[in-house]
Amino acid sequence: MNRNEIELKVQALVDGELTGSEAEALRQRINDDAGLQQLHVSLTQMRGLIADSELPRPLPESGDFYWNKIAETIEREESAGERAAPPTPASRWLLRWLTPLVGVSAVVLLLTLQQPTAPDLGIMLSGDHELELSSDEIDVMTYNTDDDSMSIVWLDYSMDIQKDYMELWLD
Amino acid sequence: MANELETSFAMTLLRRHNMNQLAFLLALLFFAGGGWVSAQADSISLNARLVLGTGKEKQGSKKVSESIHKRLAKVFKWVHYYQLSSKKLTIEDAKTMTSKLSKNASIKVSNQKNSKVSVSLFSGGKMLLQKTQTLRSGHYMVLAGKSTGDSAWFIVLSKSN
Repeated sequence: MNRNEIELKVQALVDGELTGSEAEALRQRINDDAGLQQLHVSLTQMRGLIADSELPRPLPESGDFYWNKIAETIEREESAGERAAPPTPASRWLLRWLTPLVGVSAVVLLLTLQQPTAPDLGIMLSGDHELELSSDEIDVMTYNTDDDSMSIVWLDYSMDIQKDYMELWLD
Repeated sequence: MANELETSFAMTLLRRHNMNQLAFLLALLFFAGGGWVSAQADSISLNARLVLGTGKEKQGSKKVSESIHKRLAKVFKWVHYYQLSSKKLTIEDAKTMTSKLSKNASIKVSNQKNSKVSVSLFSGGKMLLQKTQTLRSGHYMVLAGKSTGDSAWFIVLSKSN
């Protein structure tokens, strides 16, 4: 052990970091060495000065109380976490179906409310056509042109209009 | 009743604004003319034509107008369309008029306001059908059926100008 190491051991002795046997052996060595004695005395004095000059920093609360508070906070947070545990399967199922349903309903409602009134394009639909037959024995077919400019009712009813017309003309 | 109101309104104008007699006369004519126009607007004038559709050409027979020919030929197989008779019907509002198109075929047309007409087709005094629709200018209502041989009858109704 060189000199520097021995001086470090003396410093450790002053700081109380050595075991009992180490401290006893070092004390004997200090007694035999005047230089080490002087170093031990000066370090001991220095430590005393530092200890006296250090401002006391008391804890606002006692140590036990401080740690108890931390433990209580941890417990409280753990119990809160337990309360927010995953929902039961039934409620999870309900949430799974209800949430999208509510969402879709809201969108539909919004679209319905925002639906603008149909613009008036001036197009008349042919919904006003009415047809009444006096006899079920006559078959009819109806036809409307694409532009609704001509509506046709074809009757399965034969008329000799040429002869009729001639007779009317002769009348 | 409407004319009385119009006259009363015109007299009020004359008194309040010291209108001269010429202006009063013009105002009176304006209101009276409006009443006449509104009365005319309620009546409807229709053309009802009896048409024969056939594949054979008939010399001397009157052909239908190009507009009707084009429309019928676009739908039906027949090439020639001849107008056997044509009747013009002017029907007042909420009134009905009957017209004989051939010896056996006749129609009864009712004016149901706003160009809506109801047409009943009769054959030999028996009603076959009744068709009701709005008939606008340039539009046609056609009632049709088979006739003797390879021919067909058409009753074409349109709004006359």
